[in-house]
Amino acid sequence: MKIENQIRWVAKLAGIGAGLFCASFAQAELSVHHIELAVSQADTAKKWYQMHLPCRAVADRPMRMMCGGMQIELVARQSIGGSQGTSVNHISFSYPDVVAKMAALESIGVGGAGVRLQRFDDGSLTREDEGRGVHSFIFDPWGTRIELVQAPGDPVFNHVHLHSADPAAAKDWYVETLGATATAQGVDIGDIAFHISQNAEGRPAGTRERAIDHVALVADDVVATSSDIGTAGVKVRGPDSPANARGDAQRSLLAGPDGVRIAIVDSQWDGIAYDLGGQAVAEVVAIAEPFEMPRTPWGEPDIQGMWTGNAAHGIPLERPDDLAGQDLSSDQAAARREQGTLASIWGYEREWRDTTLGYDKFQASRQVALVVDPPEGKLPAITDLGEKALADAAARRLVIAAGPEDLSSWVRCITRGLPTMMMSGVYNNGLQIQQSPGYVAVQKEMIHETRLIPTTAKARPGIKQWLGSSRGRWEGDTLVVEVTDFNGRSKYRGAGENMKITERYRLVGADTLEYQFTVEDATIWETPWTGMFHFKRDEAQYELVEYACHEGNYGMTNILSAARAKDREINEPSGE
Amino acid sequence: MQRRLGLGLGLVLGIILTSGCATTTVTNSNAGDGIGSENSIPRAWDGHPDLNGIWQTLSTANWNLESHPAYGGLAEIGVLGATPPGVGVVEGGEIPYQDWARKKQQENFAKRFTNDTEAKCYLPGVPRAHYMPYPFQILQGDRKIMMVYGFAEANRTIHMDKENPVPAPIDSWMGRSHGRWDGDTLVVDAHGFNGEAWLDRAGNFHSYALKVEERFTPVNGNVLRYEVTMTDEETYTRPWKMSLLLYKNLDEAAEIFEFKCVEFSEDLLYQHLRRGTSAE
Repeated sequence: MKIENQIRWVAKLAGIGAGLFCASFAQAELSVHHIELAVSQADTAKKWYQMHLPCRAVADRPMRMMCGGMQIELVARQSIGGSQGTSVNHISFSYPDVVAKMAALESIGVGGAGVRLQRFDDGSLTREDEGRGVHSFIFDPWGTRIELVQAPGDPVFNHVHLHSADPAAAKDWYVETLGATATAQGVDIGDIAFHISQNAEGRPAGTRERAIDHVALVADDVVATSSDIGTAGVKVRGPDSPANARGDAQRSLLAGPDGVRIAIVDSQWDGIAYDLGGQAVAEVVAIAEPFEMPRTPWGEPDIQGMWTGNAAHGIPLERPDDLAGQDLSSDQAAARREQGTLASIWGYEREWRDTTLGYDKFQASRQVALVVDPPEGKLPAITDLGEKALADAAARRLVIAAGPEDLSSWVRCITRGLPTMMMSGVYNNGLQIQQSPGYVAVQKEMIHETRLIPTTAKARPGIKQWLGSSRGRWEGDTLVVEVTDFNGRSKYRGAGENMKITERYRLVGADTLEYQFTVEDATIWETPWTGMFHFKRDEAQYELVEYACHEGNYGMTNILSAARAKDREINEPSGE
Repeated sequence: MQRRLGLGLGLVLGIILTSGCATTTVTNSNAGDGIGSENSIPRAWDGHPDLNGIWQTLSTANWNLESHPAYGGLAEIGVLGATPPGVGVVEGGEIPYQDWARKKQQENFAKRFTNDTEAKCYLPGVPRAHYMPYPFQILQGDRKIMMVYGFAEANRTIHMDKENPVPAPIDSWMGRSHGRWDGDTLVVDAHGFNGEAWLDRAGNFHSYALKVEERFTPVNGNVLRYEVTMTDEETYTRPWKMSLLLYKNLDEAAEIFEFKCVEFSEDLLYQHLRRGTSAE
């Protein structure tokens, strides 16, 4: 590998000429300036890092810490997910006695801004192996994964750990583009070690807006260095002095292998107040990946596969009132969504959300409302009957259940009903689509419900069912499904027997399935309305695990026995 | 209380006894029985037999896998609780249980109206899902084959495109299924069962150690021979085989309807927790 590198290097120098030679000369001067972490509570974060890691505050630099030889810069915003699963998987500090350090951290606990400790498969906190020696992992409360490795002397910063789909290629890139020095574990940039490991599951997520947002390198001449890197074929944004930067130092941004976000700053760089950075995100969202519509061997559009609605979890049905009529920047939209998911997973920890909903692998949707029509993102006006239905439903929820019939069909493991069953919940958002000539099967993981949808002209049975009767057709590459004949026992905001749902399934990228649903029930809403969200493909990792809901419905037993206890309490007031 | 119980049992039996369960029996004779020829087998786009369609058995296997004369059930519902007679589908006549297991099966039989997992609307498992008196649909795609059953929203995905992990990553009611073609036969290996599902209404059963090899072989366009080899060292003295026929439902209106039987099992499962019936 090393020899190959050298050959390539020499070939480049010889063949491409002086411009690149100068570039490589400039790049050799790069060293690490800081690592930027996104934290929602900057003051708490500064305390946390000083309490638990070898960090100290830096005078007159409110958002910067010096951590065992590494500058850590904090940016006060919520990340869209932890560092695990991204291409900058973790950062690492050395301690002379990792076991003792972990015991001290364990005694602190995880409550509030505590320390989360990663346990290995066997339950242990510390592991020793040939490559890493004695080591442990912890997480800060904002999602940055931190490795503790054992080394004598005072605690110091040890390394940055990159994950890559192709470590060899990534290593070449750092050597050739940034002038890094190849090492056994990866590369050195300046005097900081970057280890590069094979990512376990394909390509890791990019780091942009994750807990470890980027690594900043310092150059004597940002303009020249950025230009040189650009000449080598890497897309570079800037350099410029962002409007909200402290001071007028220059910065440019680029994406390294596997989406590692790298900043090049000059030595005067003093951070920015709040990184809006919306522009590039908007680009990412806007550019739909080019793809060719896949076809089944028998000629229908092929939407088969393993999909999940995880990225859409927590999108509010309606656009929040305070956002009416506003065009949100992508950052604002992301922050909104963050609030949405955090609020709707109740007391679960952020880390749980990130892993269970897969946010450590991909970005959460930035949609601010499911409703796309009416375009204001609000449901149409409801009828008097609609008002009454909502009030009745609210009243029913307060009843002490006499039996299972008083509980929702979801609690009973019967169905979530339509359109709810298609929407994303806190977990088990898998959606498997299977096709055979003339049929599409849509199977939702939660409660393991399968809808068999004929795409031929098949007469409706005229039987009322919980999920009605679905009849589909291909309109171009869009699967259009009309659902009628609901039994009305699993109402959606009061709509039941008279409801008609029209769904549209359409691939908008190789790995993105757009799902639109139009709901009509003139007895409830004055006009039809349409919701939309995306399912993301996840063939590599996801598989429907049997959701044997009813078979393990201990919740039902518990709810009913508690209800009987409540009955007794009411009928026979305790004590005297 | 007495009345309530009667109602409960009635509902349970509503699940057990489905409409139009035929009493025709099917013997174990092999495919050379003159009911079809290889030429009449429809082919899928890739030349393999086309198994798409809605299928159902005419056997009495779901009442009792072993040969059985007619016998009665619950007096309260008269003949509705009786079992129709049938020739067994087990090769050699009897399931080769270990001694303890045969005793257990007999205990199960005595408690069948309350303990059969079918009565509770639990997932039917494999192979039982294929010989219940409910239809199931095969969706034969180019990467996977899905089977969707008319009982308890059960389904299985047969991976034709994935490594078969042994052991399965997690145990489940329906197990994990991987398939391959052996000539015109779809061969499916299923394992990773939780061992909870009964095999029929007569209390026949297996353990978590069950490994199933199923062979779906078209006899003609409208008939599949379903052969199953059952290996479970915890329960049986040797592997054993069952064989039965599945018939295609040719009715244009045929469809797998919802049979969300949970609500019909609630009296059986939660009766003691209802207001007015618990020990108060």
